[in-house]
Amino acid sequence: MWSFQTLASSIIAHPSHPTIRRTPSGSKPPSQAKREACAKINLDELFKEPTWSIESLLPPKELPRNAHRVSSRQLHHLLRLSALPIPTDAREERKMIDTLSAQLHFVGEIQQVDTTGVKPLRALRDETEGAEKEQTITLETLKDALANEEVIGKHYQRIRRKVEKVDAKDAEDWDVLGSAERKSGQFFVVDSQRPLK
Amino acid sequence: MLTPPTRSAINSVSKRPYICPSCLHRAQRLPLASATCPIRLSRRALQTATDPPKDDAPFRKLLKDAAKKQRIQEKVNGSPSKPSSISRDPRAEKWELTVGIEIHAELNTARKLFSSATTSANDTPNTHVALFDVAFPGAQPHFQKETLIPAVRAALALNCEIQTRSSFDRKHYFYQDQPAGYQITQYYEPFARDGYVTLHPHDFPGGVSPENGSITIGIKQVQMEQDTAKTVQQPPHTHLLDFNRVSHPLIEIITLPQIHNPTTAAVLVRKVQAILKTADACTAGMEMGGLRADVNVSVRQRNVKSPEDRHSYHGVTGLGQRTEIKNLASVKAVEDAIIAEWNRQIDILEQGGAIEGETRGWTLGSKTTKRLRGKEGEIDYRYMPDPDIAPVLVGDDLIDHLRRTLLSSSDSIIERLTEGPDFNVTSKDASTLLLLDDGDRLDYYLDVVQKLDKMLKSRSIGKPELYSRAGTVAGNWVLMELGALFKDSGWSKDRVPSDELASILQHLLCKEITGRTAKRLLQMKFDGDPRRIERIIDEHHMLLIPMSSEEYKTMAQQILEEKPDVVKDIIEKGQEKKVKWFVGQMMARGKEGTVEASTAEGVLRELLKL
Repeated sequence: MWSFQTLASSIIAHPSHPTIRRTPSGSKPPSQAKREACAKINLDELFKEPTWSIESLLPPKELPRNAHRVSSRQLHHLLRLSALPIPTDAREERKMIDTLSAQLHFVGEIQQVDTTGVKPLRALRDETEGAEKEQTITLETLKDALANEEVIGKHYQRIRRKVEKVDAKDAEDWDVLGSAERKSGQFFVVDSQRPLK
Repeated sequence: MLTPPTRSAINSVSKRPYICPSCLHRAQRLPLASATCPIRLSRRALQTATDPPKDDAPFRKLLKDAAKKQRIQEKVNGSPSKPSSISRDPRAEKWELTVGIEIHAELNTARKLFSSATTSANDTPNTHVALFDVAFPGAQPHFQKETLIPAVRAALALNCEIQTRSSFDRKHYFYQDQPAGYQITQYYEPFARDGYVTLHPHDFPGGVSPENGSITIGIKQVQMEQDTAKTVQQPPHTHLLDFNRVSHPLIEIITLPQIHNPTTAAVLVRKVQAILKTADACTAGMEMGGLRADVNVSVRQRNVKSPEDRHSYHGVTGLGQRTEIKNLASVKAVEDAIIAEWNRQIDILEQGGAIEGETRGWTLGSKTTKRLRGKEGEIDYRYMPDPDIAPVLVGDDLIDHLRRTLLSSSDSIIERLTEGPDFNVTSKDASTLLLLDDGDRLDYYLDVVQKLDKMLKSRSIGKPELYSRAGTVAGNWVLMELGALFKDSGWSKDRVPSDELASILQHLLCKEITGRTAKRLLQMKFDGDPRRIERIIDEHHMLLIPMSSEEYKTMAQQILEEKPDVVKDIIEKGQEKKVKWFVGQMMARGKEGTVEASTAEGVLRELLKL
């Protein structure tokens, strides 16, 4: 399968020129030259024949003989980890296993993509150098909190946080116990045993 | 099978109780369990007492004899008395203990870790809870940057390297004290790594370390994480939950498995607690639930080539299978639990069994650890980076500032106090001074010594040993005398101002007042007497008038004349120790404090021509 990375790098816009370049021009830096080299590939030719189909992501009608099936024990383990109810009958369990197998097939196909050198994405964030510098926590960032400390002692000096009243009304001022199913005084009540019907 | 004769016939023939013949037959056919009978059938069956009790022996004596016999019996049988240290345990020669510790400590912050609700210790339940703390759908975490201040200080005090970039991960498991279904911790990228703690001999009880000298334990990492809710159990199966504590910032300190003695482990926990308190990072102690320890224990045979089934942890190899003991809430519990687990594991291994990697619990007063969950109950935490929380980037200027404001380390202070001529305090006293009253007592002590030294210098007293004694005497007075006075009230440095105490001690050291007078003066100042010490001494004529050598000679002569037979013992029989008795007599007779022991002895010896 065509590597998405190299394809993507070939059409990533140059910061100062947002349009896709099709024709080469004058002397240029090596990165630009590489992009030009990729752009020289005939894109119409490239896109004429599909190299994969969506159908390949769906599980085949007939499972191969040596296909790995999710066992009942594995399913139960996963359901317990996720605090989901165990299926009540064999039919429901088989349906669950079939769905899980289909999903695993999909994941297997996606895992065919070559991701060498690509760091796993954790969240969509601004990861540029400028943003990192902005997000770094410095003396300036914490100057209010640091002003809340004092050095005590004449000979044996040590730093201590001043214990003062903190206003947390905007976080704490709501009815905490309002949506409690069961409560007792100021506490939430939890029963660790299933109530006897 | 024998045909049993009729029952009545047997009963009429003998008075013996009836026994079914088939049972008798079976009993005869059964072989003995072992070739040698384990119980030695001695003649003791016939002997019920050593001697027939004499009628006139008191009952009390009989009880005492019985108790004594039991004690001797126990000694012969070798009752398993709890060894206070495994170094005296003979099994320690064959087996080596390895311990790794994980300490969870509550950070000293104003607000929680991921919400701006305030931290609290014993407030009304469920009054400091933000929406995110109870995992209300849609609530987002907001990392409170101020929590970095005590966290980074703690890591610096433990000599760690602060990582510029660290991130938070989710540790998934379901439990009622964790509303979100996962705990936010730092599994993949902790904020501090590769630190160490050094335990010096003065940290150990009695000043003796099992390793004969200082020992350094490595710290793998320090990470920040959330605390869970407080649960009040209402047996049999009800729990009351207080979410004030959820998301209170914690640091988890993970040591390397380099501890080989339960005492070392206990001392390490205590030292880490003291370091964190001095750095103002974690001020709630173990007794208040602010610090908890989990220990990992394994044993291995010494001098045995490591077979394949050996484990390793972060560079430490050749370890046996470990078990984890969770939630130890006191330093003593740490030591006792490790000893109990060491015994249990060796018992299993010596019988040919294998240790299972399981989680165990310990309750105070029990003899062994109890299994909490085994391998099949092992939880798959499915650690994943938390996508809602941005990575934490710490600036170098902040790290430098926090390192500078750590000021003095506890080790350097104790070294200053115990070594060198300035203070000359014992290591136990030094540690006590450091921890009492949040360090205020130490500050006061240093002030007293400074003023005392200045006073002695101004009087141009040329005895150098007086200055070294000054530190020790001041230490005793600040800790013991003032400690006794302040027993019921809280410490205050103004009750007995430091210069007044220094004045008292100065007079005491120069032998101008007696010890008893000095204590009286201290009590007067403690009770609020506004006069200066000099004035009180003057008005109450408390100054000592030293005896002249003439007065010594007269008194000595008088005493020697009173006891000629003792004099004979000394001169003729050479019993020189009895000179001390005479010294004692002189000191008792003279006005309190006026007779100096050494001078008196000198005079006596001169008179006795020794």
